[in-house]
Amino acid sequence: MPQNQIKYFQKGFNFSQDGPGNRLVYHLYGCNFRCPWCANPECFAADTKVTAQTVEEVANEILRSRPMFFSGGGVTFTGGEPTLQFEALKELLIIIKEQNIHTAIECNASHPRLCELFPYIDHLMMDLKHPSDAAHKAIVGMGNQTVLDNIAAAASTRQLALRIPLVNGYNTDDACIDGFIGFLSTLPQNPLLTVELISYHEYGKVKWQKHGMEYTVQNGFVPPARLAEIRERFRQAGISTIQT
Amino acid sequence: MKPKNQHIIDLAKALFREERSITKLTGWFQIRETAAKNEGKYADLSLERRTAALLHDELKELPLSISDNAVFAGTQRDAFARTYALINPSFRVETFSGYCDPTAVYGDIDPDEEFTKERIEKLRQYTLQTPYVSQLNAMYKKAESYTGEVIYFVEQVTGHLIPEFGTALQYGTKELIATAKAKAETETDAEKKDNLLAFADALACAELLAGRYREIALAKEAAAIAAKDDEKAARFGKLANALARVPMYGARDMFEAIQSFMLLWEIMCIEQAPNPYAFSVGNADRIFEPYRHGMTREDAAALFCHFLVFFNVADRSWAISQNLIVGGRDYDGNDLTNPSSYSLLDAYFEMNLPQPILSVKLHKNTPDKLYEELGRFFFSPGVLTPSLFNDDSLFPILEAKGVDKEDLETYSVAGCQEPLIRGKDNANTTNSWLNLGKILELTISGGVSTITGKKLCDFEKLPPEELLPRLREKFYENVKSSVALMADSANGASRALSNLRVPFLSSFMGGLDYAYDTRDTEHQGTKYNGSGCLIHGLSIVADSFIAVDHLLKERPQDAERLVKALANDFEGDDELREYLLSCPKFGNNIPEVDNEAAEIANKISDLINSTKNYLSNDFRADWSSPTTHLTYGYWVGALPSGRPARDMMNYGVDPLYGSAESGLGMRMLSNMALPFCKMCGGYASHLGIDPKYFPADSFEGKGLQFKERVIEPLFFNPAADGIQPFYLYVNVTTPETLRKLLKNPKKYAPSGVYIVRIHGTFVNFLDLSPDVQQDIIRRLDLASTANIGGNE
Repeated sequence: MPQNQIKYFQKGFNFSQDGPGNRLVYHLYGCNFRCPWCANPECFAADTKVTAQTVEEVANEILRSRPMFFSGGGVTFTGGEPTLQFEALKELLIIIKEQNIHTAIECNASHPRLCELFPYIDHLMMDLKHPSDAAHKAIVGMGNQTVLDNIAAAASTRQLALRIPLVNGYNTDDACIDGFIGFLSTLPQNPLLTVELISYHEYGKVKWQKHGMEYTVQNGFVPPARLAEIRERFRQAGISTIQT
Repeated sequence: MKPKNQHIIDLAKALFREERSITKLTGWFQIRETAAKNEGKYADLSLERRTAALLHDELKELPLSISDNAVFAGTQRDAFARTYALINPSFRVETFSGYCDPTAVYGDIDPDEEFTKERIEKLRQYTLQTPYVSQLNAMYKKAESYTGEVIYFVEQVTGHLIPEFGTALQYGTKELIATAKAKAETETDAEKKDNLLAFADALACAELLAGRYREIALAKEAAAIAAKDDEKAARFGKLANALARVPMYGARDMFEAIQSFMLLWEIMCIEQAPNPYAFSVGNADRIFEPYRHGMTREDAAALFCHFLVFFNVADRSWAISQNLIVGGRDYDGNDLTNPSSYSLLDAYFEMNLPQPILSVKLHKNTPDKLYEELGRFFFSPGVLTPSLFNDDSLFPILEAKGVDKEDLETYSVAGCQEPLIRGKDNANTTNSWLNLGKILELTISGGVSTITGKKLCDFEKLPPEELLPRLREKFYENVKSSVALMADSANGASRALSNLRVPFLSSFMGGLDYAYDTRDTEHQGTKYNGSGCLIHGLSIVADSFIAVDHLLKERPQDAERLVKALANDFEGDDELREYLLSCPKFGNNIPEVDNEAAEIANKISDLINSTKNYLSNDFRADWSSPTTHLTYGYWVGALPSGRPARDMMNYGVDPLYGSAESGLGMRMLSNMALPFCKMCGGYASHLGIDPKYFPADSFEGKGLQFKERVIEPLFFNPAADGIQPFYLYVNVTTPETLRKLLKNPKKYAPSGVYIVRIHGTFVNFLDLSPDVQQDIIRRLDLASTANIGGNE
């Protein structure tokens, strides 16, 4: 039987940006969202050079990279959307967890079976792009019901680093902020839950152009005053936010 | 530092400015001229005693002076010429041929009324007739076909040792003279007896030099009193008093200890003039700490500022690669960092001079304070950075090579990165240089240079389809035969050099115990002895083997095409070159090629480490390439890795620039595959790191991040197997920064000094020749050390 393959478009070590410590980060190819501000559009670009390796090969590479997982580091799967390669990813996570490798996943929380991976993930990072199902669908191409369900499931049982990208013109008006706060207020108290507001940046813009795709975000930067106001509203609602 | 020391520091800075204004170096010439003139006087003496007598004459006749800005007496200026290639503006990769011509130095003085062309030529002709030069030239003539395009290279090794001055600092040279004479009296072997007396004669030169300097200091004191300059009068009075005592008697305080050390060093260098590169101090913090006697960190640092200026010679700091160490541990793992370590660091930072090189010994229990204090060096643009050594690896490596337990903590670094035992080890560190890249080229071509078309050696010529599957086998055969010839030539260079005896140095290298000269090639005058072999081309050969494997597997029909393409430097066959470049390359954490590099390093190290020198001691495998990756690369043709002809080879054990593009973590993992345990002669490795990788907002914080993100994973990694790496130097900067500096030096380095690291030494970037400046920029190679970003 052919083994499951992991398809990725980039890998490398990164210190503390994608989980704790020094981490070997795999950017898995493919994404079911089309966020206009995406920092890694090569994850869905047709001309991206993709590497495919068997689960065993990737597991071996991770295991022999152990000396570089210092300061509490390990391996992170991001993308793209890593859960699109669900079966291979699960198989890989099981193998490396057995070897006590610290694992992290950064995902968009849209996979209906995401909870199956929870036992094999030490550090879970999920994004919430918009609180409204309709707007979510209009912006990224899919609704958010599964996303909200997965966030709620994780938040009620385990560690979760929840990230909200704030992009001017998309999700920073009062209604959106109320929506985010409203949803977060329904989550149970969990000391292992952190909420991070990530202000818009344009690190990926040049990549869109490089891959011949149009970057459509205009004026996405959130004015500092508005950002402070949003943080204050979260604070007043009893939701502390972190900055990394 | 406290303002009360400011005057001493200001004097040191003025002294350095004064030194940098000197553009003519003729002391070495006068020294050699004195020797030539007086040699006949001592014809009846043995070579050893004649040398000691001539040293005495040289020091007697040499013009001396003490600067108005000086706190101490002494200079190295008279031992050096304006020669060293890296910082010589006329250096060109195309024309550099090593330092093999011992009379080339006579071209370094521009003739004038005093040093006329005739006078220079006369001494050159005299030198040509000496046994040393004639033997050396005969050796080079014999090795010509191998050294011409650098299959290997050999040289006579002057300098490159670490004297043990500690006993002289403590008891004085008179005590050492008494010891030598007492031993001579009871010695029954005539040669040994004679040697001991020669050592005593040479040691007596210290009193001569101190006395001459004392006269000058007294005159300056008197002049200052007459001019009612109290500060100067006190300064030179203090100096005269110190010179009445040291180095003849034991030093009583830090001032006397530093003064004593400087005069001993001066004589040691003059004895080997011209150009005894890379004598090294060793752990200066341990040498001077016993004389601190409660002196504050700041007061000691101010004196050390002057000590550091002493190592800088003339306009480009020509006495290059003299190495000074701080830090480290003892055999039991106790940290030996002391207050003098920090005073020395303060002085280094305050002065930021191109010399002497700073090295720091680290171990797993090095205090965080040391890393914090190092932060300012790594993260201030244009400031010198130390090279770093890992005691936890070096102790077992040296012990396995036969170094006694009690000697381990005194290992020091001679020149760039070669570990030697202070005062006990003559390792001839730069004696031989092996070029694996050239041997691979000639293995494929059957001994014919693809650079010049010349037949250089008798490597077997096989048809491509027969050769390529056996490439490794034939390569190792050819390395073996080349190494045998190389060792013969290198030993010839050492024997030629033994005509130039060094009785003064020998007194600090174990001569008083063994009663033989350090350079004696018949009898061992030091506790430990070996010869160095600097091995070039590790990763490009590994990359080449793997590329050939892939070609034979994936397109076997192209075997002949490959050989033709290499002979033509890929001209007209870009497609094949692109294919070869796409094959796995060392430095990307790919086991196939990383293991190949490890295998090459293992086999070649074993071969070198079992090759014998003139005393039947082992050569020492040293995987370093101090700019010779560039100069020797110029003579290496195209290789199967895809590297074009005449391009640089990889530096030390690093990947070739541009071939490791997977970031710092992957590069470190590849590096860990190498057998450092066998690199007993040393190795070189460099990381160019973007400052952004260390975001802390203070130097101290950045220093700790440097520890966490670079040093601990590389040197003290609990998850790594075997002996871990033991050497590293870094440049924390970007190519853009250095290009801007070159474009507008006045804006970015208003002082004219912008220090960068290049292999084992640091240098003023602005002093370097353009070829070397470009080498440094290319080898920053930030893709190989990048932090690969994630989603945001």
